[in-house]
Amino acid sequence: MASKQNAQTILIEQLKLQVGNISAAIEQQGHTAFGTSRLLSNDEITDFSIEFLELMVALLDSKDPLNHREPAFEALRIFFSNVSKHLLIRGGKMDDLVRYIQFLQRSFLDTLQDDKKVGLDDTRAILLLLSNIFNELSLEVFQTYLKEKEQTILAQQEELRETSTPITEIWDGVLTLPIIGILDSSRTMVVMESLLNRIASDRAKAVVMDVTGVRSIDSQVSHHLIQMMRAIQLMGADAILTGIRPEIARALTSLNIDLGNVTTRATLSDGLKEAFRRMNIHVSAASDI
Amino acid sequence: MSVSTKPSGYHLTPIGGGRFLLEPSTALDISSSEALLEEILQRLQRGKAQKLYYDLADLPLIEPRYYQWLNMLARACCAVNVAMACIRMQPTAAYALSSYMESSPDFSVEQGVREG
Repeated sequence: MASKQNAQTILIEQLKLQVGNISAAIEQQGHTAFGTSRLLSNDEITDFSIEFLELMVALLDSKDPLNHREPAFEALRIFFSNVSKHLLIRGGKMDDLVRYIQFLQRSFLDTLQDDKKVGLDDTRAILLLLSNIFNELSLEVFQTYLKEKEQTILAQQEELRETSTPITEIWDGVLTLPIIGILDSSRTMVVMESLLNRIASDRAKAVVMDVTGVRSIDSQVSHHLIQMMRAIQLMGADAILTGIRPEIARALTSLNIDLGNVTTRATLSDGLKEAFRRMNIHVSAASDI
Repeated sequence: MSVSTKPSGYHLTPIGGGRFLLEPSTALDISSSEALLEEILQRLQRGKAQKLYYDLADLPLIEPRYYQWLNMLARACCAVNVAMACIRMQPTAAYALSSYMESSPDFSVEQGVREG
């Protein structure tokens, strides 16, 4: 406990004595790491250095700098989390930031080199204290990076879902839904939700679902398909399934899936014709009129 | 043309051309389904009904028990030569129902009351 207190006192003293040198070194390294690639402007690097040193002094001045619930520690953690987000948004690499954090730690240690008064026990305590703080900061940067990546992946998945299942009103009261790729449970839920809401809002009379883009089908997927067709019919609309390829038809038969209650047509075009026929719509060439 | 409100939790309204509109309220007690069924059928027969529209607009979910009630009513209507159609099913209800129903329902489904 005494050596920890001592380590804090020595570090604060060193910081106060050598704040100019440390700040200059941090800024210099900041320019090398982020300035050349224009990830941060000169002003931002200066602000970063000043704020970091202020937060570091506040932490070392606190009751227990190793307590991660200490408000000063929390402030430092949030500061690094924000810097990480900022850099990642601008295309920065996590490795550069982690290396920079290692440099920050080293710059503190360098200040102790010339001080002959610091004994072995104190040096060990200072090393432990700094490693603990900076390891936690590196971890924070890593977690921020993971969270940002996760959010990006989720956003991309959402976008992909929306673009891969475009529901189009091809005619008054006729919706088309081409399904491409794999139809899993979560996708079925998303597609069904938007499709059923569209049927309700557009008062659609027919839905043509085209599965030409579905490469393979298993028991789960086929049940999702049947569930979708049933839900469409329950909304009072006609469901027409088109584009079932021979291999899919064979798979459906071997899976004992009964398509008896489902209207099927070979192509999307045939499906649309069927929808128009049911709605008493006649489409003809202008020259025929 | 009379609109009747029954304490059993539904409105049954003749809408012309032998058609009736049944609007259930949240107070509809389907636990005494047989008594309820008899009461509805009696009124349909008295009104010389040919078609019954069952309005599901206020039902965000249809549970298996409620689905069973709808099927039972549809079969009973069929027995007295009245066709039953459920109308204005909510997307949430359609989704839930499609996940557990195993065969086609005994009633037909339409988006709304057809012009008579």
